[in-house]
Amino acid sequence: MFVCGYHFPASMGNDVSMDKVIEKVNGEAGDLSSISSIEVTGETAKGEIVEKFTVTPGSFLFTALADYYNKSDVPQKDGFKMIYYTNKYQISEISKAVDGDDAKALCRKLDDMNLYRLKIA
Amino acid sequence: MSALRQIAFYGKGGIGKSTTSQNTLAAMCHYYGQKILIVGCDPKADSTRLILHEKAQSTIMQLASEAGTVEDLELEDVCKPGAGEFNPEDETITDGYIMCTESGGPEPGVGCAGRGVITAINFLEEEGAYDDELDFVSYDVLGDVVCGGFAMPIREGKAQEIYIVMSGEMMAMYAANNISKGILKYANTGGVRLAGLICNARMTDREYDLAKNLATQIGTQMIHFVPRSNHVQRAELRRMTVVEFSPNSEQAMEYRELARKIIANDLKVIPTPLEMDDLEALLMEFGLEEEVEAEAIGKRAEEA
Repeated sequence: MFVCGYHFPASMGNDVSMDKVIEKVNGEAGDLSSISSIEVTGETAKGEIVEKFTVTPGSFLFTALADYYNKSDVPQKDGFKMIYYTNKYQISEISKAVDGDDAKALCRKLDDMNLYRLKIA
Repeated sequence: MSALRQIAFYGKGGIGKSTTSQNTLAAMCHYYGQKILIVGCDPKADSTRLILHEKAQSTIMQLASEAGTVEDLELEDVCKPGAGEFNPEDETITDGYIMCTESGGPEPGVGCAGRGVITAINFLEEEGAYDDELDFVSYDVLGDVVCGGFAMPIREGKAQEIYIVMSGEMMAMYAANNISKGILKYANTGGVRLAGLICNARMTDREYDLAKNLATQIGTQMIHFVPRSNHVQRAELRRMTVVEFSPNSEQAMEYRELARKIIANDLKVIPTPLEMDDLEALLMEFGLEEEVEAEAIGKRAEEA
């Protein structure tokens, strides 16, 4: 199955544990020390930006978003890359389980139906 | 050359099955060079219109009726190359291509659509439509297999890998569960497997959670959450897929990601469908239905 864009072989079943996903994301993300923050925007279907926040290092949320940004080849718009809905929900689900309250509060925003975009700084 | 994979898209009527399947298959061809044959198994014959840029293709059953019998038909009569970049002769964008055919079916209220489907599939096989070059054959099947006719691609062992298009609405989930029951029935005899749920989102609250949990409980994965987008309708009005209409749009990227996952997917399971009570419990847990007291059943809002 696929979580955070990564393929987990069928032998791991249909409910891969969060620990395995975190291990995979951390392992694949590599050195993220050059990234000080991630700017995130959320926009309605009409393109109106209704959310703007920053994610700082020290959480799974940061690692997963930074890894997504680095790996994804979706077209950029002013340096921002869209995040697939599936990925944002999966990242949010794990972050809410393992990160602190600040990250959890941001994840509640990601859980809505808006389109989110990321830019690393 | 890899082995031919025979996949099918099932789902509740009106869920966006044909739209989702055509946009996904188009992405598999456009971005990944896949060679595909679409076999539309819906009497509406709308499983290929976006690929062909046409209103509706003449169906095998319709052409057989005009010619006398299906034996009077040639493959070229019923199997058409996709338009533009999906045509095998057009390699400007992709080496892949999409061939299109529609089984068709009886007039509304008359006969069995399943018979049309199996006649069409047998004809295509005998005439060599499933050639060695193909990577995928994709069946687009109407309904939720309450009629055995629509289970024909499963029953006959044709479709091996089933993707169920659903949403967070109760009837879509009910249909997804029902289709899983159909797959389970033939899993041991024909080798058919459930390969995933595709959530064609209605953008209702907690829709991802609901779809994911249904998938987990029936033993599969929610392979991708496809958001709602006006690009889909805009493309449809032009009888095009999103990847042709707007290849760099966010929606095209979503279909590209779903295409990538289907190509790489190895999670194919015998499903474990839910009992109706469990399905209702799932809906209640994720807030689509408020749990009600037994005495409130059947009462109007002002009485409850």
